[in-house]
Amino acid sequence: MLEQLAPQIVNGLMLGAFYASVAIGLSLIMNLTGVINMAHGSFLTLGGYFSFAMVAAGAPFWVALIAAPILTALVGLALERGLMRPLYGRDPLYSLLLTFGLSLIAEEVYRLIWGSNGVPVSAPAALQGGISLGTFQVPTIQVFTAAILVVAMSALWLFLNRTRYGLRLRAAVQDTEMIAALGTNTQTLYMVNFGLGVLLAGLAGVLAASQLGLNPTSGNALLMPAFVTVIVGGMGSLLGALAGGLLIGMTISMMTLFFPAASDVSMYVIMAVILLIRPRGLFGEEGLFG
Amino acid sequence: MADRTVSRKTVLKTAAAATAGFGIPAFLPRIGEAAADLPIGLVEPTTGIYATYGEYERAGIAMAVADWNARGGVMGRKVVTFSEDDENDPGVGVQKARKLVQQDHCVALIGTINSGISLSVSGAANSLGVMFMDSGGHTDDVTGKNCNWNTFRVCHSTWMETHATGYDLAQRFGKKWYIITPDYAFGHSLYDGYVDVAKQIGVDIIANDLVPLTLTDFSPYLTKVQSAKPSLLIVLNQGDQFVNALKQAAAFGIQKTIPIGGPQVELEAVEALPPEARVGFWGVEWYYDSPLSVGAAGSAGRRFVAAYKKKYNKTPSARSAFGYIAMDRVLWSMAEAKSTDAVKTCKALENARFNSIFEGTSYFRKEDHQMMWPMLIGEIQPNGTASDKDNLFKIIGAQPADKVEQTIAEKAKVCTITYPS
Repeated sequence: MLEQLAPQIVNGLMLGAFYASVAIGLSLIMNLTGVINMAHGSFLTLGGYFSFAMVAAGAPFWVALIAAPILTALVGLALERGLMRPLYGRDPLYSLLLTFGLSLIAEEVYRLIWGSNGVPVSAPAALQGGISLGTFQVPTIQVFTAAILVVAMSALWLFLNRTRYGLRLRAAVQDTEMIAALGTNTQTLYMVNFGLGVLLAGLAGVLAASQLGLNPTSGNALLMPAFVTVIVGGMGSLLGALAGGLLIGMTISMMTLFFPAASDVSMYVIMAVILLIRPRGLFGEEGLFG
Repeated sequence: MADRTVSRKTVLKTAAAATAGFGIPAFLPRIGEAAADLPIGLVEPTTGIYATYGEYERAGIAMAVADWNARGGVMGRKVVTFSEDDENDPGVGVQKARKLVQQDHCVALIGTINSGISLSVSGAANSLGVMFMDSGGHTDDVTGKNCNWNTFRVCHSTWMETHATGYDLAQRFGKKWYIITPDYAFGHSLYDGYVDVAKQIGVDIIANDLVPLTLTDFSPYLTKVQSAKPSLLIVLNQGDQFVNALKQAAAFGIQKTIPIGGPQVELEAVEALPPEARVGFWGVEWYYDSPLSVGAAGSAGRRFVAAYKKKYNKTPSARSAFGYIAMDRVLWSMAEAKSTDAVKTCKALENARFNSIFEGTSYFRKEDHQMMWPMLIGEIQPNGTASDKDNLFKIIGAQPADKVEQTIAEKAKVCTITYPS
């Protein structure tokens, strides 16, 4: 059993990084606009499908890795402008129901375009195989996903903390009315924020499609771990998304080692415990979301 | 600006609703068909992880309906179908079965994919007094301890699948098995079958890891497999979980050192895998391009394949065959009994020999209502053949049903068919 600990710890970290990559976009959107984006999984799927279509058309994976999230973000922006915008400022249930409806529509649209069966997606040759860590191997695609997460989080942190626009976004989270009174167009801020969140969903979708199956509902299957990650880490916190993801990944990995049947439910137990002892999550700011 | 805060309670409620909600179908009440029509109810998933399989079964069912209607229907009545989404939920399956019978006046039910739903719909059909033809739920219990007079099954039982493949797998790959099992009726039933095989030939099952049906990422399980170094990894999961498990096994490089196989593989799932993850020896229930399965040129099976490809522009899977056979037999029983009365039609089916879209003759065993037909073993061909990229299996053997299913005497210990007086 002990010799299995090291591989499971490493796997837990990789799994956690994967969950965090899925959760960041969700957290970002929730943070500023208060939108509980039930279509986040659908944007993930769309990112995967865009990537699949590009690679099938002859584009290199590396091009798809960049272009697919951008295309996904463009779709997200169009939806934000056309459908989400009128709902800002209303009860969050409106946007929740809207995004839930969108996810159902998206599932059917994907089914019409790409068929109900899954499509075969390969990781590029450079990311196939594994990296040897002595007695065990870690899949290269997992390590790559973790590396992309680090890059994405660093870029996001720099954007939010070192650019004027990012500072405005953060200020808007604190007090939207004040920043609007100071002359900032908050509608544009919302749009950029939503687009960023969807961009990250698209990126996670490309990475997920390289590791797991891709079908019309595959992104939705990752939505629950993403929600749990956000709640555990603390709503609206980038560091929280990372910490939540790692905690959930590590818990599932360890539980698989000792009690596999409870591996999936263990994340909900963690969530319940966190909510009992620290209701705002590990790194959530008190009062931010009531 | 109005308050836009999101309470934590809302988030939690949302999260809970999301789990249930993603399978919510459009529930549209339908207007009853004309009295002259013969309505048959379909309980199949159209959403969720088994939606693809439901689609293929319904496609096969539609072929059978078209064939019968082209011949003038059944007792002069045009066959019509009402389809409901079981949402991959046993409780929903029961609701939909009741709706189909009580509201749409269906005289028989056909479905499902998920074994748990097959069991629940079987029970519902029993209380409603209509025939239920289990097209694709494999767990032993359907024709075992939960058998009843009105339930018949087309697809193979898990016992048949494990006993058709277990001996062969042990011979090829040795006797140190690691099993990954989906944690529901179907998975447990398969595992029990392999335990029986293991006892008979001395296989050491070094681990049996239960996988929750909602799990998507298999990496923690595969990490354990990597450490355990079995002579064979058996994957019992189906659908999206099969795809994820095989794809991640390829990422871990497991297939290079540990052979992979199992009791059942579906063409739909293999098509969803990239070539590097298409590996293994598996049980196959029906295959469109093997003389062992569909016979020689000109056979009913070959004609079905040609007609299916023409109609749907794709290759039929075993699910398509299940659907076709299930509907064909339900309608045949009504034509034979000259009635839609469930008792009469069920009795007509028992032990009645028939030929269909597979090689050889079959029948529904009177003692448990299991359809007795051969079980195949196949090896995956990652890139198909030069002339047919969809030809992903090489069928290497067929096992007669009576050699791989429990005997009538064994079944009698758990199943007694008793008709209502």
